Amino acid sequence: MKNVITAIAIFAMMLGVQSMAKAQNNSDSKAKIVVKPSQLNLNVDETAQLESFVQDANGNATQDTVYFYSRASKSVSISKNGEGHQVKALKPGSFELIAYAESPSGDRLRAPVKVEVAYPPITNIAFRDMPSKVYTMTSTPIKYKVTDAKGLARKNADVNLASSKPSIASVDDYGQLQAHKPGTTTISATAEQAKTVWQLKVTENPVTALELTSESQEGRTGHVFNFNATPKNSAGNTVDGAPVEYSFIAKPDDDLGEGTSGQIQQNGRFVASKPGLYKIVAKSGSAVAEKTIRVNARDVQKNIKMVGHGLVSDVHTSDLWIWEGVDGGDYAITGTWGGNGEAYFWDVSDPANMTIIDTVTVDARTVNDVKISEDGRIGVITREGASDRKNGIVILDVSDPHNVSVISEYTKGLTGGVHNSFIYQDHVFAVNNGRRYDIIDISDPKNPETVSRFELDTPGHSVHDVWVENGIAYSSNWDDGVVAVDVGSTPNAQSPERHDTGAGSFDNPVKLGSYTYPSGWNHAAFPFKSQSTGDFYVVAGDEAFPNGLHIENQPTEPAGWIHFVKFEDGWDSPKEVARYQVPEAGTHNFWIKDDTLYVAYYNAGLRVVDISGELMGNLYEQGREIAKFVPTHHKGKIPNAPMSWGPQPYKGYIFVSDWNSGLWAFKIQEPSQGTN
Amino acid sequence: MKHLRRICFLAILFTVGFGSSSFGQTYHAFVTAESDDEVYQVAFNAETRTGSVSDVIPVGQWPTENEGPHGINVGLDGEYWYLSVAHGNPYGWLYKFKTGSNELVSRTQLGMFPASMEISSLTGLLYVVNFNLHGDMEPSTVSVVDPEAMSVVTDIPTGIMPHGSRITEDGKLQYHVSMMTDELMEINAADLELTRRLNLAPSKANSKSASQSTMQQTSMTANPKVKPTWADPHPKKDLVYVAGNGSDEIIEVNTKNWKVQRRFKSDDETAPYNLEVSHDEKYVVASYKGTGETGIWNLKTGEEVAVIKNSRNITHGVSITPDSRYAFISVEGVGGQPGSVDIIDLQKLERAEVIEVGKQAGGIMFWKMTQKP
Repeated sequence: MKNVITAIAIFAMMLGVQSMAKAQNNSDSKAKIVVKPSQLNLNVDETAQLESFVQDANGNATQDTVYFYSRASKSVSISKNGEGHQVKALKPGSFELIAYAESPSGDRLRAPVKVEVAYPPITNIAFRDMPSKVYTMTSTPIKYKVTDAKGLARKNADVNLASSKPSIASVDDYGQLQAHKPGTTTISATAEQAKTVWQLKVTENPVTALELTSESQEGRTGHVFNFNATPKNSAGNTVDGAPVEYSFIAKPDDDLGEGTSGQIQQNGRFVASKPGLYKIVAKSGSAVAEKTIRVNARDVQKNIKMVGHGLVSDVHTSDLWIWEGVDGGDYAITGTWGGNGEAYFWDVSDPANMTIIDTVTVDARTVNDVKISEDGRIGVITREGASDRKNGIVILDVSDPHNVSVISEYTKGLTGGVHNSFIYQDHVFAVNNGRRYDIIDISDPKNPETVSRFELDTPGHSVHDVWVENGIAYSSNWDDGVVAVDVGSTPNAQSPERHDTGAGSFDNPVKLGSYTYPSGWNHAAFPFKSQSTGDFYVVAGDEAFPNGLHIENQPTEPAGWIHFVKFEDGWDSPKEVARYQVPEAGTHNFWIKDDTLYVAYYNAGLRVVDISGELMGNLYEQGREIAKFVPTHHKGKIPNAPMSWGPQPYKGYIFVSDWNSGLWAFKIQEPSQGTN
Repeated sequence: MKHLRRICFLAILFTVGFGSSSFGQTYHAFVTAESDDEVYQVAFNAETRTGSVSDVIPVGQWPTENEGPHGINVGLDGEYWYLSVAHGNPYGWLYKFKTGSNELVSRTQLGMFPASMEISSLTGLLYVVNFNLHGDMEPSTVSVVDPEAMSVVTDIPTGIMPHGSRITEDGKLQYHVSMMTDELMEINAADLELTRRLNLAPSKANSKSASQSTMQQTSMTANPKVKPTWADPHPKKDLVYVAGNGSDEIIEVNTKNWKVQRRFKSDDETAPYNLEVSHDEKYVVASYKGTGETGIWNLKTGEEVAVIKNSRNITHGVSITPDSRYAFISVEGVGGQPGSVDIIDLQKLERAEVIEVGKQAGGIMFWKMTQKP
């Protein structure tokens, strides 16, 4: 039989395409694996035994050595041969086991076994945190939890909510309780055979008036107004527990086809994106209060001047660092991406005439990150794609930027590649193979020594970048979001929120807190203590390429934005309060200085943003953008395609590395004094 | 894959017997470009002795980071090809692509730095070593994957830095090496168990090594002498050939008595990395990573019959055509230098062509032969 199939394969090859893989020998086509039972219907935790054997073309059992595996071993397991092929259902759903064996003539036999695991019956449904009393003319979201016989939460259960007296209180199509008039009613929730009830009393809403206040009645776009509505009864006393709903009516100055003009939260915080008059409305029952405010243009826009440009056209440019050299001159280092392992050193003392003064070439394809120590003497560059696969970091003597020399290469435990690094107090934080960061003592730069590592323990964790300030390392971790780790925090790390600090050290990094968000795009993190409000934020930046990354010939359209995260009640209570999102563009690296955000917004170029004051909503829409410049060059690596990589404000200039066109220097033009 | 090559080889003999001189003129293969996150589909026209790039397939999820496509192989039915991508979050991945269109079908997560792989003709399962090149020196695993469902069936514990997953023609035994413990490892492909392990170091060097044939995990300190990096079973005999990257040798292991039978000493610093036995059983072809050369050994005599300089430094992978006519050799290059595929003519024992591909050309696998380019 085998020879017949072989001959067929040969014939097929003679016809034309000689696909190797097509030539699989499938003799013994009538031999098969017999499994009894041929399919299973089980309940969770139930077990079953399978019998199996190989049957030849004549129906004779030839052997009983049959192997099995589960295609979903975490949902249905099967023991190995010799243990009786015991199947155990672990989770509900439809699954498949595969039996495989060798045929009498040595060929492959396989047989699927379907396993249906029934969902356990729903045994419990319970209302969660529902009040026993509500006021008329209020709306309350109904919350409940459904669990099955195995104690597992069932989020997809079909739940029926009903009121015994809908005229008193009813449940709308969206699970909201609407209280209509005084009385009692029973709200029931039913899922399969499980049922629970909630005895509800509806009382007359005592609120007859609302007192609506705010700290100001005039501000600029982006200013957060804090409104406070106090419910009062007919006697003028405050009514505790009466729900208040906030809304607003906008009359923007420019009302010609205008889009969203403002945003209000149900804690009374309001921010306007457009100049105009806004009527803030607070409502509780039949009581309504209104307050009109005036919002003016933020008026922070300034001109930006392109001062200088150092074109790099033969390779993609990666990160940059600008520093004052020990000789008092100003210098820059830029890395290269997907090239020949080069780092360029520039004299930027005159930003209008930036020139490359030295080049360091290491065994790497990408020198992604470049950092210089605070004293301007030590440089650290990262390696990826080393031909010996040892990668790691290279420590440089940059005390003479015209003659940079390699002090040492450090690869111990870092062979998987270092994508980013940070120098802080004679220690390098090196992002190791995207898995963790190693903390390396470089006080003796000829003999670096790893003193500790920090690695998350979440499934599928990763780390992309790390930034250290006041003894706290802020890492960006894709799906795991931003993570703050105490590596020897200083008093300056304190903020009004009084975060716990002082727990860690270089050799004992201690996690303080973290914040994740659904997209999993977290690529950068930067601490920000607002000079205007004292508020502390961890600012998180995205990187995403939903449309792919074009390395040659055509521009890229990335995605992503900047997230402002507050830890108002300590490290365990993160809350994302604002964003800066330029449409149809994607963020990369950014820098914050003096309540100003500098973003290298890839295809949207450099963006300079006013982040003073309380932050709420999308800052892009609030007229907070101070300046922008979209750098392109017709001789760029990809011509005329902006791809700004990293910014750095420095001595009144803003330096930007662009992936396609090299190093740029800009200056914000302050408006001239006086009047015309 | 070897099972298929055998059939293809028979077909070629059959066809040659009928005097079809134009048969199999173009050979097709896939090669990874580890530092460009790309896979190249290349073709070599034997009639004109010219090579070309048929397609370039970008791979990975994070475009600005290097994810490192490393191992590659074609499925049993030729409908799909499979790729290991070394760097993930933090685990690597197995990708599945449709042959012809080179469309991504699906992917599944594996262990740390998954590398070489092959599918057993007996079980239909894919066995991929988790090389863990950049991790701590600790025992790793061989992931066994159902390539149809792309689900991991099990992870079989093995040695430190396992590499070079190749399977016998009958699909029954998988061989790989444990680089940092100087061992050859054998897995029963059906039972999914590690059945034997053999210390490859000469007796003086292995005095501190783990004992032979024990199934217990070795507890010795990683201090390898041989640094084996590849294992390839003989197409017919009970032999396995191992590349001794650290000892500059090719080791022939008799799997019947589970002993080293012969050692083929290559020149110092040649550092053999990958190897493959030709299907006509004539040669073992080895990549000399240290010197940028390809070594060809006569299996019968145990003599090195040719050392062919490759087109650039750092020779990586070897894949021999089913007719044993050509060896496709991937060559990494250094820094910004592109990688290459060198086509070695195994009859003339010379380099026939160089195909330029992306940086750090690594895993390479023959795909098919066609009559037209």
